[in-house]
Amino acid sequence: MLLARMAEAVYWAGRYLERAECTARFVQVHTDAHVDMPVGEDVGWEPLLAIVGVDTEFAERHPSPTEAGGPGTASKLGGADGAGTARGAGGATKLGAAEEDVVEFILHSKDNPSSILAAIAVARENLRTARPVVPREAWEACNNLWLACSDHLDEADSREGRVQWLRRVIAGCQWINGILLGTMSRDHAMSFLSIGQNLERADLTTRVLDVRSESLHPSGGDDPYEVVHWMAVLRSLAAYQPFRRAMPARLQGGSTLRFLLQDDRFPRAVSACLAETRSHLKGLARAEAALDACTNASMVVASAAVPRLTLGGLTEFLDEVQAALADVHDRIDETYFRPTFVGWQPDSVAS
Amino acid sequence: MATVQTHQGRITGGVEAAHDRLAPVDGREPTAAAWPSYDPGPFYDELVGPTGKPREASEALWRHFSDLGPEGLAERQEAADREMRAVGVTFTVYEGTAGVDRPWPFDIIPRVVPSNEWATIESGLVQRLNALNLFIDDVYHDQRSVKSGIVPTELVAGSPNFRRECMGVDPPGGIWAHICGSDLIRDADGTVYVLEDNLRVPSGVSYLLENRMVAKHVFPEMFRHFSIEPVDPYVGRLANLLASVSPSTGDPTIVVLTPGIYNAAYFEHAFLAQQLGVELVEGSDLVVLDDDCVYARTIEGLQQVDVIYRRIDDLYLDPEVFLPDSMLGVPGLIRAWQSGRVAVVNAPGAGIADDKKVYSYVPDIIRFFLDEEPILATVPTLRCSDEDSRHYVLGNLERLVVKPANESGGYGVLVGPSATPDQLAHAAKQIESQPTKWVAQPVIPLSTAPTLCDGEVGPRHVDLRPFTLLGPEGAYVTRGGLTRVARQAGCLVVNSSQGGGSKDTWVVNLDRRGPEGDASPRARGAPTLSEEDPDDDPR
Repeated sequence: MLLARMAEAVYWAGRYLERAECTARFVQVHTDAHVDMPVGEDVGWEPLLAIVGVDTEFAERHPSPTEAGGPGTASKLGGADGAGTARGAGGATKLGAAEEDVVEFILHSKDNPSSILAAIAVARENLRTARPVVPREAWEACNNLWLACSDHLDEADSREGRVQWLRRVIAGCQWINGILLGTMSRDHAMSFLSIGQNLERADLTTRVLDVRSESLHPSGGDDPYEVVHWMAVLRSLAAYQPFRRAMPARLQGGSTLRFLLQDDRFPRAVSACLAETRSHLKGLARAEAALDACTNASMVVASAAVPRLTLGGLTEFLDEVQAALADVHDRIDETYFRPTFVGWQPDSVAS
Repeated sequence: MATVQTHQGRITGGVEAAHDRLAPVDGREPTAAAWPSYDPGPFYDELVGPTGKPREASEALWRHFSDLGPEGLAERQEAADREMRAVGVTFTVYEGTAGVDRPWPFDIIPRVVPSNEWATIESGLVQRLNALNLFIDDVYHDQRSVKSGIVPTELVAGSPNFRRECMGVDPPGGIWAHICGSDLIRDADGTVYVLEDNLRVPSGVSYLLENRMVAKHVFPEMFRHFSIEPVDPYVGRLANLLASVSPSTGDPTIVVLTPGIYNAAYFEHAFLAQQLGVELVEGSDLVVLDDDCVYARTIEGLQQVDVIYRRIDDLYLDPEVFLPDSMLGVPGLIRAWQSGRVAVVNAPGAGIADDKKVYSYVPDIIRFFLDEEPILATVPTLRCSDEDSRHYVLGNLERLVVKPANESGGYGVLVGPSATPDQLAHAAKQIESQPTKWVAQPVIPLSTAPTLCDGEVGPRHVDLRPFTLLGPEGAYVTRGGLTRVARQAGCLVVNSSQGGGSKDTWVVNLDRRGPEGDASPRARGAPTLSEEDPDDDPR
């Protein structure tokens, strides 16, 4: 027996843990890549804000007097100006957001309800609610992660300390995952946790591709920094080594996109996340609508002519994938978390 | 779990003056090595005898602490604090309207009780809970105890804890109060008293279990040397008890009903559900349909629930019957329980046996229903409704503890010796205008135990809450309990919400020392700790 409320709690715990881990990796890889690029060639720190989806919130808190665009500019960084100015985004570094501000905002700012620290706190609260259905050690590991991260906030604000702090986040999330894999029964609670993780993973992969490729795809093949950028994309999804082993071909936009969207074996590729989601849904009762939505999302991803997308239409395509993913969430939400059985009184359920 | 104990002197029957007992005890020898300056004063100390030497059951512990020294102890205290924090053992305190989670305060120096002494306490608690259950069942059926004059009619009819809806209901085995968390205290001459029978939703058992887990990590060597009775079987016994009252024949579906994550005891509710392997539900997760069955809203639809271990007070259980605007309860729950389709633990109405006035009748209740003499002492309690008693109470207010008869959690308690003249006058007025609402007790000088405070070890007052289970298949008492300790010197308030701490309680079997224990006749090769399986299977 699994209460609807518990299913929802573990689902969100799964999503937020995944979000914390992935975001930590984005920041880590972005910091590394940033250091690699010659001054004036880097893309600044705004893309991070766009990937995490907090560019507007950040702009509200850190108004940039020299930037006329105001809120929302960051997400359109470079791309809108066409090929010639793709790297013109480098100019935005001088005008754009300061590294410290962006990193602080994404890591732990109190102004950012989607910060890494906030994601860990939400995961922790959900695991606390769901304590009866998750292994005790998993809750303890999450509690420890939250304590360790809150205790070392001062570390997070320097480049050297930041590496340690982010590593702690990634290791902590992996620790929890390891406990779940090694000690949790493959029951319904585990299914909802995994579904949450996989949907979040798929969503974040599409966001990375969306933001990164906007500033990259127009440049064609002779860009000396293109490879560095795509390597960063892969690394930020922990996909560089798996990609190299799976696709020894020249690293470029088309093959990277295909790998991250359509590979069936790499656990952060969108189609692999959807396959995993489907296998968990199959074990649940009344999953028809959610399974349909999941199959639809898989079809959207599988049927894409990926190499052609690098020439145009990628953003629209990724929007379509994100909408399909959101649909899977909605079906799960209405079927399992807010069901309408006999005797169910939705108005008596306090949110 | 909120008993305020604020007893400072001792007056028995109003004859003995408090200062007689507070005078220093003569002929004391210098204290043993561990803390040369340790001096419990006029109080009974749980670890140190009147000569200043450790009691027999505490000798090994005392020696070990001498070896560790103050720094060694401080290190272990830090390790314990770290573990409590990491494991996430918290309790909620309210600051204004906001609940704040605090790490559970745990003092590493255990309280030691010899097992022969515990055996007496154990049988006394079982006797008491048996008698109280017979009383509750009687109240809701024939009321023989009232008719034969053992208790006055108004004790039952006038009690705010009496539930009309319970009349004639037959819970499985005739048991109403399945889980009891008694508050025990010890006075200066070592007598153990039951101060309160908490029969409604007693809490604290999770902290008792967590304290033991941390203690084992902090003093693993002591658990090898000593034969310390395990506390783990509690969860298995509780699971058996819950299953045994199920109205259905198949595998029962058991749930723990919590008011929710913002309740002060939420940690415990989640802990118990996890340990029992059952769902933790809120009122909104349950629904009672027209068939009078209770169902849980699960991902697979509605699933019938057989047993509810409720951690919500009676009045919030069912808005159809009790407080209509309660958001915590389940409409129709009482109807389902009355029809026998679901078991509720503790049963609604069990609180009738848990108020200060009934408390004063418990010795008579035991004699009436069991035809036995009470094994454990009850604190002499004067009922202000009685004219002679009232006269005495009003004349001796400054030496008594005055309590409202029907409150729990220490609300409205007046401690005579520490009250201001205004407070005394106010209390006198209240007693005169509503005498039936008040009882008075002598001030009991609580026993002390050595406690680490700011790097020093000093005597601090303690009480003890063991847990007793009673089901159709028998009774079980935890071996040990939650020892609560006041952290200020001389302070008699042990509530965690008032800055009190807690200790592990070791029931030590002196005839069965562990394999490495010294002076053991059957030392080598003997089973560790105890012959009982500490991992009692939950079902």
